Amino acid sequence: MAVAVGIQHPYTYPFEYRIPSPAGTSPTGGNQPLILGVVQGFPTSRKEFGMHWVGCRVGGILRFDNVVDHLGALASIASISEDDEYWYVQLAGSWSSVNPLPPPLYVPNPSGAPLKPLLGEILEDRIIAPGGTPITKDTLNPATDKRYGYVQAILIDVDGENGILKLKKAGSFQASPDNVYLTPAIGTFIPGRFFTIGTRYACTCQDFTRRSYAFTMNLGAKEVRRFPYTKPSLLKYGRHELITNLNSQTINNQAMTDPNQNRSLELTPSSIDNPGVFSDFGGRYIRNIPAGESAEGPATFVDYTAKNNQIISYSDYWTPLLDEMRYCKHIYSLRFEEGILPPEPSDLPVGTAESLTEWEQNLVIESSTSKQHMETANTLRGVALMDVPPRNFQSPQVLPMMQKLLNVPTSFIRLENFRMQDKTGAFYDPSAYESPAT
Amino acid sequence: MADFGEVIETRYNLSEEQLAASKFGFSPVYHSGSPTVYSPGDVVNLPYVSGETSSITALGNAWAAYASGVTPT
Repeated sequence: MAVAVGIQHPYTYPFEYRIPSPAGTSPTGGNQPLILGVVQGFPTSRKEFGMHWVGCRVGGILRFDNVVDHLGALASIASISEDDEYWYVQLAGSWSSVNPLPPPLYVPNPSGAPLKPLLGEILEDRIIAPGGTPITKDTLNPATDKRYGYVQAILIDVDGENGILKLKKAGSFQASPDNVYLTPAIGTFIPGRFFTIGTRYACTCQDFTRRSYAFTMNLGAKEVRRFPYTKPSLLKYGRHELITNLNSQTINNQAMTDPNQNRSLELTPSSIDNPGVFSDFGGRYIRNIPAGESAEGPATFVDYTAKNNQIISYSDYWTPLLDEMRYCKHIYSLRFEEGILPPEPSDLPVGTAESLTEWEQNLVIESSTSKQHMETANTLRGVALMDVPPRNFQSPQVLPMMQKLLNVPTSFIRLENFRMQDKTGAFYDPSAYESPAT
Repeated sequence: MADFGEVIETRYNLSEEQLAASKFGFSPVYHSGSPTVYSPGDVVNLPYVSGETSSITALGNAWAAYASGVTPT
């Protein structure tokens, strides 16, 4: 509830990320290639600097009507085939091993397997005609006076040499002609349309990053500083990240730096967590069915065999999902504002001793108290202590989040590529020491 | 008609009650201007006309250079 209130606080830092160009080249034409997004702060007492930062990269950034084959044909949706778990979308155009899908869909890699940077992105068939504005779930088809509707799904794999995209049915959404979201989608993509890319989120909270950060302040009246530590029992093999000053190569774990001082993140493979900085919670598990790696979805509870009403064997089908992005409550609150409710079960109590009325009244009281706490202690503390975008974009907490959000290598995240939007709507360049309007 | 780069708001218009709830604690806070309102909706990255480098092309160029060992600037 307190998080839901957090969305109403104006700790929003809209930014414009100028996509870096390969050395020696620069974008042509008048309109520059951009990625737009916003970083929203959620005050918290669970974090050193009093804020969880959620990044939102707005939808519609990458449009497939700018994807062309070597003959200049546009990569619209040509045809769709499907099986129980996936859609296989053939993109229009002539694709081959000599002329595969262009980057970033399929990136030939001289030193190994091709890169497919867009895997895990949400694709939506929302561009009706090349150059058109993406439709929303409300958009009416003027010819029929009915809503167009569209489907969104996660990109699972790219067959670059044949121009085929594989998208997952489980977890897909459909904006139906009735103006409601259905999940999973009951329809499929419409041939002739173009894909665009969906809204993407990332968060610095412990739930999303699955990391516990060192916390050296207590929450009493006095802010007593302590030495950062990680319990040895919590240290395990994991991703060991070092944030270093780009010029001096010295370690720099500061929360904020000069907006003109770039840092880089380096991984030390086969190492342990970074003691005193973070410790990973480890992988998490979802219920899955092994035969043919069936779709992830609601648990079917067929994890046993029975005969004559007697269970004769148990088996366990929990499978690890080590690096799959999962939403946290902060992201769900943003999605709620967007009008998309999470496909989550209700939290209505089952088998509670108290009456439902009593439970609801307690919930209201608890929400009210929690909101009150949020409004005062957390907010004041957060505002007093918080780190501020974009100065924190390369800190140990925020840089991995920005990498997930923008879906680019961390070496692409340079402070001079960011322009921040002030309250008047104007963009300013922090790396050139420009300031927002006062 | 939306202009290039303009964000189309979907559902992020704060009500008066929400704005009132956005006060910082109980002490008076003075600020000027409108609160920054940013939409989790869409951006009109249009029109990328002929001759312009679109976002997906630029991102593709950056990735292709990265795969070849060239770090973008």
